[in-house]
Amino acid sequence: MITIQNITKKYGDFTAVNNLSFNVKEGEILCLLGANGAGKSTTINMLLNFTNPSSGTAEINGLDVVKNPIKTKEFLTYIPENLMLYPTLTAIENLDYFTKLSGKKFDTSELQLYLTEAGLQEEAHNKRVKTFSKGMRQKVGIALAIAKESKVLLLDEPTSGLDPKSSNEFMELLTKMKNEGVAILMATHDLFRAKEVSTHIGIMCSGVLENHLNTPEVSLKELETIYLDIMNFKNVS
Amino acid sequence: MIHVIFKELKELARDGRFKIVIGISLILLVIATITGVNQYQKNNEQYINSVAKERSIWETQGAKNPHSAAHYGTYAFKPQFALSLFDYGVTKYTGNSIFLEAHSRNEASFSEASDQTSLARFGTLSINFVLIYLFPLIIILIGYNSYTKEKEHQTFRLLKSQGVHPVKLALGKWFAIYIPIFCLTLIVFLLLGIVLSNLENLAFFSWNSLLILFVLYALYYLIVTTLTVLISMWSKSSGMSLVSSLVIWILFSFISPKVATNFANKNNPYPSKSEFNTRIAEDKKNGLDGHNPWNKAAKKLEEETLKEYGVDSISQLPFNYAGYRMQKGEEHEAKIYEKHYAILNDIAIQQNSTYKKLAFLSPFIPVRFLSMDIANTSDNLHWKFTKAAEEYRIKKQAFLNNDIKDNSKLGDWNYKMSAQRFKELPKFSFTPPKLSNLLTENKESLVFLGFWLLLPFITMIWASKKI
Repeated sequence: MITIQNITKKYGDFTAVNNLSFNVKEGEILCLLGANGAGKSTTINMLLNFTNPSSGTAEINGLDVVKNPIKTKEFLTYIPENLMLYPTLTAIENLDYFTKLSGKKFDTSELQLYLTEAGLQEEAHNKRVKTFSKGMRQKVGIALAIAKESKVLLLDEPTSGLDPKSSNEFMELLTKMKNEGVAILMATHDLFRAKEVSTHIGIMCSGVLENHLNTPEVSLKELETIYLDIMNFKNVS
Repeated sequence: MIHVIFKELKELARDGRFKIVIGISLILLVIATITGVNQYQKNNEQYINSVAKERSIWETQGAKNPHSAAHYGTYAFKPQFALSLFDYGVTKYTGNSIFLEAHSRNEASFSEASDQTSLARFGTLSINFVLIYLFPLIIILIGYNSYTKEKEHQTFRLLKSQGVHPVKLALGKWFAIYIPIFCLTLIVFLLLGIVLSNLENLAFFSWNSLLILFVLYALYYLIVTTLTVLISMWSKSSGMSLVSSLVIWILFSFISPKVATNFANKNNPYPSKSEFNTRIAEDKKNGLDGHNPWNKAAKKLEEETLKEYGVDSISQLPFNYAGYRMQKGEEHEAKIYEKHYAILNDIAIQQNSTYKKLAFLSPFIPVRFLSMDIANTSDNLHWKFTKAAEEYRIKKQAFLNNDIKDNSKLGDWNYKMSAQRFKELPKFSFTPPKLSNLLTENKESLVFLGFWLLLPFITMIWASKKI
């Protein structure tokens, strides 16, 4: 569902992503681990066509993201580190707007259903989102993915700054979506959550995918050791 | 695109700033309308009364020597055009009546500004003032953060990730800013039309002119909207966008028109009043004087007339030569005035032309010109009025002089024209140019307006794909 082949992104002399390749199939979660500047967000930005790769190809659902920037977005939902919504609109209005932009149309009861499915309490549905916590906003993002029936979920540090309870709820939602066949790519610093939720883990350092692991085959302790070894070897703080 | 429009409008409706700005603008519009209606009614009443009274004085002056009546003079009054209620234009400064007398072409006098204190220099609140200065500010306040707020609130990435086409997004935002202003403008013009059509003794009101004015302002707001969205696209922050938009507004509305005025005046200067009058006096001195039978030109006319009629003396002519000579003198003086005023008019045309060509500096310039012309309050209209008044003066003098020529005898200085005959002098009337003619005269302004509509719009569409 997500295919990246020999992708490189250069900003002048600086190489943000170097010859990166991986696949994320339906029902898989690939967690990209790495320090700040490792190239995780740049990879997601290339998949979203926010920035073009210097070389290589990125595909969503078999379509090249550079050649089909609009079409590929029909299949995906993007949830950034800090999902911001329109503060003067309610949760339902925000969801309604974003789904309509994606070419989908739902009535209010359907939208409420998606928000409930994403774990947003009913009393918050008609509240303006300016009062929402980050966790509540992330749930609206998940509701958007559910409503759009997204085949791909791109998450950039989604649990950063979330309290443990919200973080846990979010991971449960991801697992649920994975089980429904969604391909999920998540950039994170959180080894614990990565181990908990992913099917695969990629460790990135200085734009290079240093290790690609099958999550069930490694323990959390082993994952931590591998991660730290790479960071220490590359002298990354 | 429609979803973007609805969402933006929903956000706008919940924005307290928008409500305050619209509220203030509506209050100003109501004040401007009330002031305009009162002022118009007062001026129009004065005009109607003055025309009637002046004509009555003329018609009831009794039997009198026609040349005495010619010197006694009459007034030509400029009608109070209905749309002057909307756009005062230059009417406050040009004067609204011209004294019509023998031998002299007079300037218009009794301008409103001359009747006011120096406070008049601060200007007057008119509907046009609110529409041309304040409505663009509303557009800026609505739209300055149309893109920057998305960037600042970090909603832009989420928006882009939905696969919305950038041009549709730009057009959605563009429409969402324009729609409230368009509706507001439509309401203002509809109400104005209703107010105008309910006023009594309205002079030259046309719904077509009002419609064209509405279209003109609607187009101007399109330009301002496009520029506001474009600036917001290119700005890094809302603060920068607001400041940039306000600077552009100041440049367009205040700096450019003044630069254009100075440039036009400098390149085509008017002669001073005394210089102008001296040139006319010199030409008159060297020409035929209807009052003086002994000057060179008068002697020549006498010789030519005697030759033409094959007689030896003016007393043998089949008409009163004194009336004939006065008419010829009047015609000669009229030509002198025509020559000098044509020079002045040419300078005015050159100034206007230079000014209009500088419309590439600001869309405000063509809009201002068109607005005043359509409202019949422009300098151009004033020139037409003064020409009409002069033509009437010439006809009036001919009417009076020919009466002396045809109905009195040479040397009969006590001759009096009958009281009834005074009533036969046609009344002065002035009709403004047709709307189609006005638009043809303003082709240049319309072209510049088109330029201002297209260039920023194309740039906006291009820029929307780049962000």
